[in-house]
Amino acid sequence: MRQMTTAELLTLQIRVILSLVLRETRATFGTSSFGYLWAVITPTASVAVLVILFSMVGRHAPFGASLALFFATGILTLQFFTETSGKLMTVFDANKALLTYPIIKDVDTILARTILISATYLVIMVIFYSGLIVAGMAQFPARPGQLVLVFLSTALMGLGYGAMNAVIVSLWDTWMQIEKVLTRPLFFISGIFYVPSQLPTRAQDYLQWNPILHLVEWFRIGFYPNYNSSILDRTYPVFVGAVLLLIGLAGERLFRRSRF
Amino acid sequence: MLAFDRVSKIYNLKGVRKVILDDLSFVFPENRNVAIMGKNGAGKSTMMRLLAGSEPPTSGHVYRSLRISWPLGFAGGFNGSMTGIENIRFVSRIYGQDTERVITYVKEFAELGPSLRLPIKTYSSGMKARLAFGLSMAINFQVYLIDEITAVGDETFRKKSRAVFQEKLKSSQIIMVSHSAATINEYCDCGLLLNEGGVTFYDDVKELIAAYKSL
Repeated sequence: MRQMTTAELLTLQIRVILSLVLRETRATFGTSSFGYLWAVITPTASVAVLVILFSMVGRHAPFGASLALFFATGILTLQFFTETSGKLMTVFDANKALLTYPIIKDVDTILARTILISATYLVIMVIFYSGLIVAGMAQFPARPGQLVLVFLSTALMGLGYGAMNAVIVSLWDTWMQIEKVLTRPLFFISGIFYVPSQLPTRAQDYLQWNPILHLVEWFRIGFYPNYNSSILDRTYPVFVGAVLLLIGLAGERLFRRSRF
Repeated sequence: MLAFDRVSKIYNLKGVRKVILDDLSFVFPENRNVAIMGKNGAGKSTMMRLLAGSEPPTSGHVYRSLRISWPLGFAGGFNGSMTGIENIRFVSRIYGQDTERVITYVKEFAELGPSLRLPIKTYSSGMKARLAFGLSMAINFQVYLIDEITAVGDETFRKKSRAVFQEKLKSSQIIMVSHSAATINEYCDCGLLLNEGGVTFYDDVKELIAAYKSL
């Protein structure tokens, strides 16, 4: 019997991944559309909390006229990243039953989850920002093309970091707790409630190592017509994301046998 | 072709090392139905998973160029919160089958009626096994891997399964794990005996059963 051609293998893999996406959608959000609604409400609530807190102490937005828009550009970007990487961390264990069907490989389950979360966040962001625009709290994005690029880069970053963590967790599950502690400061060092370029140079020197900060800055450049960033380097988060993904995939291959 | 090339399988669980297969090379005879027999824990189910490719060997390679089923006999791959229909859809999709055709087939075969629209976690183990068996029969494989499944359901269902199964055997090959000498005798014509890490091939199924009984 002949071997499968690359095209056939690719069709097979796409078919498997899409089936998994459908299955995960169903498993994540349940039968009711309320499940999906909830996924949209949660990020909105966290933006609202920040807006209310800052309004109560009488603060203005660090940039632009709208507190909600400024915080959202930070929080939604960070959440998109943490959701993707967090859900990927447990992917091997969660999908063990699926490996009954030898046609499904671990990498398929990783990609399927990434696609599902990206699609969810795409919906969340479109709904949320449209809402802000309709409510007069935001203008139409100045550079939509940049927003598409930064969205994809954030997905890549989450995929890379999540895949690497999934491999580490499969070898050493205490890593799950340690990773949580390590990434908690991201909320403070990713420029969510301040403009990084306005910080002292010393602070900037440290913060610029954080790829998530670059993604947040990039997102704001895409949204605001006149946002200036002295820190932003677009290639940096893409590079970090790609390297992490490479490490993750290589690790998946290298340690595959030890997972069984 | 379906072959093991210097395959070893070793499990390390909490410091306990268990050798299931040790450097086994074996080419499965084509167009013959192969039995796999052995005591509990001898590694029969592991061998099935290696054959299916659900699990990689510790060292060595498994070569397969045939369309091989997943190891049938348990409902491990079902998602409990999804309904029977949804699980059928999922498996049909990944195997590139016409979803509606498979649903119709399984509906008719498994006789689960309206239960198919309920989540799998509400099923009894017998219902799950019927669903799993029906689903695998709806998809055409060249080799069916069967792990102790023929004893599913009540007498009428067993008769029905047997009929479908005999039909399949005309065009497909099976590799079967069972403790029942009668079942092995009915379906297989040669087989492997797994014993303390050693594997012996018997060209005649009668000899295999005799050797198994004298273990």
